[in-house]
Amino acid sequence: MTMSNLANSKINGVGLGLKRELIPQIQSVFGKDYIANINFLEIAPENWINAGGKAATQLDWFVERFPIACHGLCLSLGGLSPINEVFLQQVKKFLHQYEIPLYTEHLSYATDGYNGQQGYLYDLLPIPFTEEAIHYVAKRIRQTQDILGQRIAIENTSYYVAAPISTMDELTFLKAVLSEADCFLHLDINNIYVNSINFGFDAHAFLRGIPGERIIYSHVAGHYQEAPDLLIDTHGSDVIDPVWTLLAEAYQLFDTFPTLLERDNNIPPLEILMGEVNKIATLQSGYTRNSKPSHQPALVSSN
Amino acid sequence: MDENLPSFQRYQLAFSAHLRDPLHQPRPLNVPVKRMAVYKEIVFNNLFESISACFPVTQKVLGKRAWLNLVRGFLRDHSANTPIFREIPEEFLIYLNTQTDIPPYLVSLCHYEWIELFVASSATSATELDMSVCPITCADDLIEYRPAFISTMQILNYDYAVQRISPRHKPKEKLSTQLLVYRDVEFAVQFVELNHVTYRLIELLQQESTTGKQALTRIAGELSHPQPESVLQFGLEILQDLKTQGIIIGVIVD
Repeated sequence: MTMSNLANSKINGVGLGLKRELIPQIQSVFGKDYIANINFLEIAPENWINAGGKAATQLDWFVERFPIACHGLCLSLGGLSPINEVFLQQVKKFLHQYEIPLYTEHLSYATDGYNGQQGYLYDLLPIPFTEEAIHYVAKRIRQTQDILGQRIAIENTSYYVAAPISTMDELTFLKAVLSEADCFLHLDINNIYVNSINFGFDAHAFLRGIPGERIIYSHVAGHYQEAPDLLIDTHGSDVIDPVWTLLAEAYQLFDTFPTLLERDNNIPPLEILMGEVNKIATLQSGYTRNSKPSHQPALVSSN
Repeated sequence: MDENLPSFQRYQLAFSAHLRDPLHQPRPLNVPVKRMAVYKEIVFNNLFESISACFPVTQKVLGKRAWLNLVRGFLRDHSANTPIFREIPEEFLIYLNTQTDIPPYLVSLCHYEWIELFVASSATSATELDMSVCPITCADDLIEYRPAFISTMQILNYDYAVQRISPRHKPKEKLSTQLLVYRDVEFAVQFVELNHVTYRLIELLQQESTTGKQALTRIAGELSHPQPESVLQFGLEILQDLKTQGIIIGVIVD
């Protein structure tokens, strides 16, 4: 698997999810000091592939000015129907066209179809943690990487229902898939926290068990507390302190890696949002004064 | 359910079946009601928002309850085949075409609402000029050659006056309606009401590779018009009007 396109990646530092509401705001203050800490932007290919009209010109504008990361939602790595190769070819073309070095997806499923039908449900549904599921998902990640000609990263996904048929915990499952697929990890810090509350495990122990050498990218976000034991991963509020603590701990354990602030709902003005972007940058700078230059070791060691 | 599937896939099928049709498909064994409710809510709400955003008039015309039920039916019965979010409303149109228990004008109305989104985001560039398209130097060019249209233009033929439907105006009878839609250079989607002759003229020019004159002569024949020259004159005015609006962008000279 070639690493060149990722080793030369400009995805570094702090990123922000490019939501429609933020497009005119970023365009109007581009170049100003107070957004200097936005190093890259993230988009979902499902929102932008084959987009024409105004959206296409906006995308061109941003691609010229920011490195872009792609974070997919509908590849359905755990789905029953075959991997949608037509879609994957579209993704490949899209990544190439806009020189996007990184494509990440969720360790979940979004389709229910079989017998050839896809049956998209457009959401992230939980894969039961079983041996058979490990082999199945790892095979599909490898297939994806073969088609794209590059490694992808998979994200640890938030979930709300623990499958009663699971035979192992989330961390064991995640590690087994990463290892068998030989892919990167897109570490979602908020999802560790959300799942730790929803299923009563120790978030710090989970983090310490992560194979740090596979981390290439990460997310932080806010969530919604529906009940003391039920958090919903809405990306609709500020990042909470325990999640900041986990992020700092992750940098300490594994050195820094590119980190994106996800804010999909209830989006405050860019000026306010920059507070959290800057906070990530500050945390990163606290761990990069040592001898290691940014996140490059992670890239090299997983080659 | 296929008993040959691995247990995790049988579980996934049961899980998603319950999300689609909670009333008839049982919750997977030993899964807590409260937690399953989270998925039921997020999956439906997500889909409901995606579809509702495209059909503001339709949902007002139907009313909240009927609209909710229609989207529920879509989630329950339709196997959507696209991962591209922008294309979800098109899947809804496909589903709607299989429905019989809806007002007779609804498919036309939804198509009219959907085409606006489709034209706004379609991947053809509004300024993209075909190599064979030449600039228009005089009005006669529109007659002597084949007028070329802006690439985002489509002509639409409905059984109802879809552009006038509202909660206070629900059509009781059919009314053959022809519209033209295109995306202008500022990316705004424009609709134009067409008379029958204009619709036919554009249709011929698009489909038959004829010159303006040939198309108009044929229309005069179809109308059995006593004075074909007046059809030609009327047609030229139409073509000039379309050129002024930026819908005709040049001519194709063979």
